[in-house]
Amino acid sequence: MTIRWKHLIVLAIIAPVLGLGIGWSGLMSVRASSGHWAVTDWFLHWVMRNSVSARAVSPDKVPPLDDPGLIPGAAGHFETACATCHGSPAQPRPDSVMAMLPPPPDLQTVVPEWSDGELFEIVKHGVRFTGMPAWPTQSRDDEIWSMVAFLKKLPEMDASAYIKASGLHGMGQAGEVSPLPITCESCHAESKLNDGSLVPRLAGQSEAYLLSALKAYTGKQRPSGIMQVAVGTLPAESLPELAAYYARQTPSVREAVAQDPALIEKGKTLAEVGRASDKVPACLSCHDKAGANPAYPKLSGQNSAYLRQQLLLFQAGTRGGSSYGHLMSEAAKGLTPQDMDALAAYFSQR
Amino acid sequence: MATSLVSSCSGSHSTLDPAGPEAAKVAQLFYVMLAGGAVIWIGLVSVFIYAARKKHQHTEENAGRVILWGGAIIPSVILCALLSYGMWLMPAIRPWVPDDQSVRRIEVTGEQFWWRVRYLDEADGIMFETANEVRIPIGEPAHFSLKAADVIHSFWVPSLGGKMDMIPGRTNPLTLTADREGTYRGVCAEFCGESHALMAFTVRAVSPADHEAWLAERSASDPQDAEGLAVFLNNGCGACHAISGTAANGRIGPDLTAFGERGTLAAGTLPHTAEDIARFVAHPGEIKPGVKMPHFGMLPEDDIKKIAAFLKELR
Repeated sequence: MTIRWKHLIVLAIIAPVLGLGIGWSGLMSVRASSGHWAVTDWFLHWVMRNSVSARAVSPDKVPPLDDPGLIPGAAGHFETACATCHGSPAQPRPDSVMAMLPPPPDLQTVVPEWSDGELFEIVKHGVRFTGMPAWPTQSRDDEIWSMVAFLKKLPEMDASAYIKASGLHGMGQAGEVSPLPITCESCHAESKLNDGSLVPRLAGQSEAYLLSALKAYTGKQRPSGIMQVAVGTLPAESLPELAAYYARQTPSVREAVAQDPALIEKGKTLAEVGRASDKVPACLSCHDKAGANPAYPKLSGQNSAYLRQQLLLFQAGTRGGSSYGHLMSEAAKGLTPQDMDALAAYFSQR
Repeated sequence: MATSLVSSCSGSHSTLDPAGPEAAKVAQLFYVMLAGGAVIWIGLVSVFIYAARKKHQHTEENAGRVILWGGAIIPSVILCALLSYGMWLMPAIRPWVPDDQSVRRIEVTGEQFWWRVRYLDEADGIMFETANEVRIPIGEPAHFSLKAADVIHSFWVPSLGGKMDMIPGRTNPLTLTADREGTYRGVCAEFCGESHALMAFTVRAVSPADHEAWLAERSASDPQDAEGLAVFLNNGCGACHAISGTAANGRIGPDLTAFGERGTLAAGTLPHTAEDIARFVAHPGEIKPGVKMPHFGMLPEDDIKKIAAFLKELR
């Protein structure tokens, strides 16, 4: 018989009905226990690899990833959010996650297979149908790049290097089966920070500011995949305690970092008088002033890398923050990258 | 209706209610043009009526003459007369002032959407800065140097004279003379952004003696309300605004020295009451779209009220 138009039309009606019928019947198994057919497994991975490489960030758009300041925050976040499934050099993947379909890969083995741009794509957007989540916020590419920098280091890390980087409180006691303890101090401890740290110093910071920052993270007004995960599940009543704890601390004395005196002088002028022609107000009109509104954070002695990063975020309009945050987005608009360097250098040694 | 038409022609913002010789010439030019226009109009209507009458038989020669006189010669003569009159009036409308004169100038810079006003001494040194309000003495020309900080604005005080554009990168001189005391309203006459219509200023014309006294007093202002000043400073208002005699020395936004003396708020947008000041501090963008000042609605209400009360009384 010859195939006619009406045969095709009948087929087009029957096929979806048949498909729905199979779905309705329950014949299709979604059991993870039975695994995929080898061909399905190959096909899914083939599609996934093609999708990732098609959307990868091109190599010329990858920022420098060799800054050691990128590692600690990403390592702490890895322990909090990633190691549960992927394991870490300090703790292998438990059998429970190995029974996932597909099982989360051991990153020490698979990371070298991907380019930086591909790792960024996977970490930022996650992978559908696998359990790999997207980064909790889509507006903090800087955090995702720090995670890529950490992942590149991961294959060579042993347990003690990993514990040091992520600030874990050492290996568990004999018989202890819960995850290794990680706390705020794992990243924010004075002893772990230096001038190049992207993780801010909290010791001695204004209590009102710390509390508003914590609330801005939990309320998602200050986007950060790392901090939203770190404090998002804390009970609301513990936030004031936490703010008070860090406000009470005394910042430790730090060795002065050799900075270009001309740069510091430039930062000092900007901080003291601003630059009216570019609508840059004087920083010290609000910050580090006796009697100032405590919602304005103290900047003196803060890590220069953190300060610079925050200015960049404010200028890009992605920093967010408390109900005062918009003031800084306005103030940072007229700053050049050199201004930011100068201000960060000046305040970090002030 | 006639009353409302007539009354809308007087007041602090009217070309037809001139308060100085230049504005008087502008008004005179308007009336002469109006009269000239009326003559043309009456002539035209007469010709229509004449042409519409049936009893006349128009010959071709006749019609040609009408076209020549009515269409070419008479309009040319009238237009030439009006043009010559306008040209003859020009020096009086915009008096030519040599640039190198050593006089005290008032530098006005148009910014989105307010006016930065600086009183300069004879050597062009800044005596002091203020905003959105200009004081001039009567009976003598006030010399303005007009500038723009961002986009093109135009400086226009209808009761005192013609408008003058303010162009970024240029300084345009303008003199205006007021010959009676009063308060006149000026506006931005060149579209400059979303709050262009909310960019006005006040000119106060006072006696020369009062003006000198004000200049001296204004150079040494002394804020009283210490508590209000502390709230103002502690919240960082001084980063953008200056109040002479205090730590507030910001030069980004309008200078607020002696703010309490001003008649209006936000460049002629709101009346000068404590409630309106508080409203502007809390939500400037709702009152003036596109304003550069960030909103301070997150401050405790009490602090906003203290700042408003302080500014309202600031002398």
